[in-house]
Amino acid sequence: MDFMLSNEQRAWQMTARKFAEEEIRPISLERDEISDPRETFDWEIIKKGSRLGFRTMAVPKEWGGHGTDFVTQALVMAELAKADSAISKTFSQCWKWSHLIAATCTDEQKGRFLKPFLEDDTYLLGKGISEPSAGSDNRLPPGDDPKAGLKLRAERHGDEWILNGEKCFIANASVGKLFFIDARTDPNAPLKQGTTMFLVPRDTPGFRIGKVFNKAGWRFYQNGEMIFENARVPHANVVGPVNGSDMKTHQAGDRTGGDIFGDLELAANALGVCDDACEMALTLARTRKQGGRPLFDQQLVQLKINRMHMLTEALRSFVMRIAWEHDHKVHSANAGLCMNLSTDVIQEVTEINLDIHMSAGVLEPRADKLVRDGIIWSHLAGDSVQRMKATRRLAK
Amino acid sequence: MYSLHLSPEQLEIRDTVRDFVAQEVVPAALVPARLEARVRPLLLDVLDKASQMGLRTLALSEQMGGAGADHLTCCIVTEELAFGDPDIAAVLAQTSTLAHELFDRAMTDEQRGHFLPAFLEDDRYQLALAEHEPDRDPALGVNYHRPKVGDAGFKTTAKRSGDVWIINGAKDRVANAPLAGLFAVQVATGNGASTLLVPRNTSGLAVADIAASERWHHGAYGTVTFKDCRVPAENLLGIDEGSPLAGDAGRRIPQDQALNLGIGRVAYEAALDYAQLRVQGGRRIIEHQAIGGKLAEVLVRLEVARAAIWQAAWASDHPAAIADRSLPDLPLTTIAEAFVAETIYHATKDAAECFGAMGVMKDMPLQKYVHDALVCLHSGAGKSEATLRIAEALSGYRRPALLAAE
Repeated sequence: MDFMLSNEQRAWQMTARKFAEEEIRPISLERDEISDPRETFDWEIIKKGSRLGFRTMAVPKEWGGHGTDFVTQALVMAELAKADSAISKTFSQCWKWSHLIAATCTDEQKGRFLKPFLEDDTYLLGKGISEPSAGSDNRLPPGDDPKAGLKLRAERHGDEWILNGEKCFIANASVGKLFFIDARTDPNAPLKQGTTMFLVPRDTPGFRIGKVFNKAGWRFYQNGEMIFENARVPHANVVGPVNGSDMKTHQAGDRTGGDIFGDLELAANALGVCDDACEMALTLARTRKQGGRPLFDQQLVQLKINRMHMLTEALRSFVMRIAWEHDHKVHSANAGLCMNLSTDVIQEVTEINLDIHMSAGVLEPRADKLVRDGIIWSHLAGDSVQRMKATRRLAK
Repeated sequence: MYSLHLSPEQLEIRDTVRDFVAQEVVPAALVPARLEARVRPLLLDVLDKASQMGLRTLALSEQMGGAGADHLTCCIVTEELAFGDPDIAAVLAQTSTLAHELFDRAMTDEQRGHFLPAFLEDDRYQLALAEHEPDRDPALGVNYHRPKVGDAGFKTTAKRSGDVWIINGAKDRVANAPLAGLFAVQVATGNGASTLLVPRNTSGLAVADIAASERWHHGAYGTVTFKDCRVPAENLLGIDEGSPLAGDAGRRIPQDQALNLGIGRVAYEAALDYAQLRVQGGRRIIEHQAIGGKLAEVLVRLEVARAAIWQAAWASDHPAAIADRSLPDLPLTTIAEAFVAETIYHATKDAAECFGAMGVMKDMPLQKYVHDALVCLHSGAGKSEATLRIAEALSGYRRPALLAAE
């Protein structure tokens, strides 16, 4: 086994580390503290990061991107997340759908959508799956309830599809320029056989963004409502076969993530947050005194710091292994398991960090922020549906 | 006899408070402005109504004009109130506990005559204990099983000058400070620690609210500063060794834990209701093992937490049960503290998880319950401190410095 990074991987990591420390960290807390969820976003940091390649790094070289491998992507996500988890996710959300475009779109579609994406520093991507009455049903469609799952309807009229319905909690909804939208094209078929994926640009007639959700964590990251009222999408924007949304993405991996990237993404992001928490706790323990001696002298404090680092380093090993496996096209339940584990690790590590601060009487808003960011993993990466999904993959 | 068979009076007050919470507290507490955890305004009108029901003076003896409730009853009431609003529960618990300690136990007849009537007649008259200081660290921590404890002495001083005490210094994290009509202030007099009664309108006393980002407590907290603040010599309190004002946490009323339990219960009930309505996977989600099992685990945690709290409360009502070895001679309240806060925090997180993404949305109460439980986890001395105190107790360690002071 070779854990050495190539020069190119190392260069991306260093660029990300510098950008994260110099540009992201200084705005991280202030963005988190803004109370209006529409105002937490900051285009300047997106533009700066985009110019360094952090928006487009997953686009293949033959289409004008950087064509980075999964190991590089994992390294960069962790470095950016160490400064701000939600800002890192805003960038990597574009990689997630870059992978989807590469895996599923025709050359004609790639030409139409990848070119403007590469040229415009403010061109962000998203995908609409969840709906008010369909969350877990999309992730784990029930065999005994074929009608379960998303309801957004698309009907064909000549060369156009007319979309009606709504999506909720959609990432980058309020800031994205292009979205993949899963819609029901055969309401009588089960989800997997009755759903089609569409490319829907922001300015599509009949499509608008509703409210932006006000979350307790990941406040920079925009999750919004999407409303479709007779939205008209050209047939040329259908991705893959009609009623075959699942077939196309399923070949590439996981349907809710669009590809195998999604599981790795959350685990790598969690790793960065854990690195930040570990560093905060260790710094505090060495510098803060209690009864004239550093906190570090206390055995209970050492044991807490031990647990934080033990969990973080175990997660790092798993994340890098998954990234390496993806690069070598070794696909298994591991990515899902790693994502599940990252939930437990990010939450315990950030909670211990907060505990070390609070026990020492240090009210550190960033320690609280990391805990709130970590709780986001509960419904994305570590809920029982995500765990059962990974388990069922083991049994296949 | 160890008995958790509640009396008819205890059952009645629990039902009365539960109705009050359902009808008056919950509708006022769950409005959007109050779901924003750190900047929620205190529900003063609800506090007024609670005071009129006698909850502000719950623990004060009947002889003095209160309800004379025992510790277990106070815990039951606090749990019910916290189900609706932890801030209301915290303010009332602090005033009620201090009313008993000060008026029933610590004050002389003269002092009572001076302060009690005004306290009884004004629904907005709360009580505060000004103990914590910004630069004083009373944590056991590094001094576990060693003679010294933290920086033991108070930095706030009181000097006697003729017929008055002159107080100088600063206190922070003072519960009820923004609402208090009367402060019991712990000071160094040059002759060890003493407690002085300082009315709010005393010249030289100033109260400031705590910034939202520093809000790590339930109820109303503030800092109190004293600048040549003069109170009459007769405001000095005589405090006996066993009083909570003297600082023994191990046997005091587990009211913070009862408050915490109320938060856990409201999160659990919300998740239980939702799990019986929400349909995914072709059936109500409670019918899935994953969710049913999770809710069962939450319930187990709540019930075991309540057992620990009630045992500690019952023990503090019946010291003879420890004397005759019916209950172990251990700091049962600290034991409840070490168990409950972490347990309830995880229970609220699991309850929130049942809501999926809605569990983290600020316009839904689940994230508030998680936040409120996190505040409980960190508003006291912390689990490690509680653990160390239990560790000293179980080995029978007695601190030489304290022995010398006795």
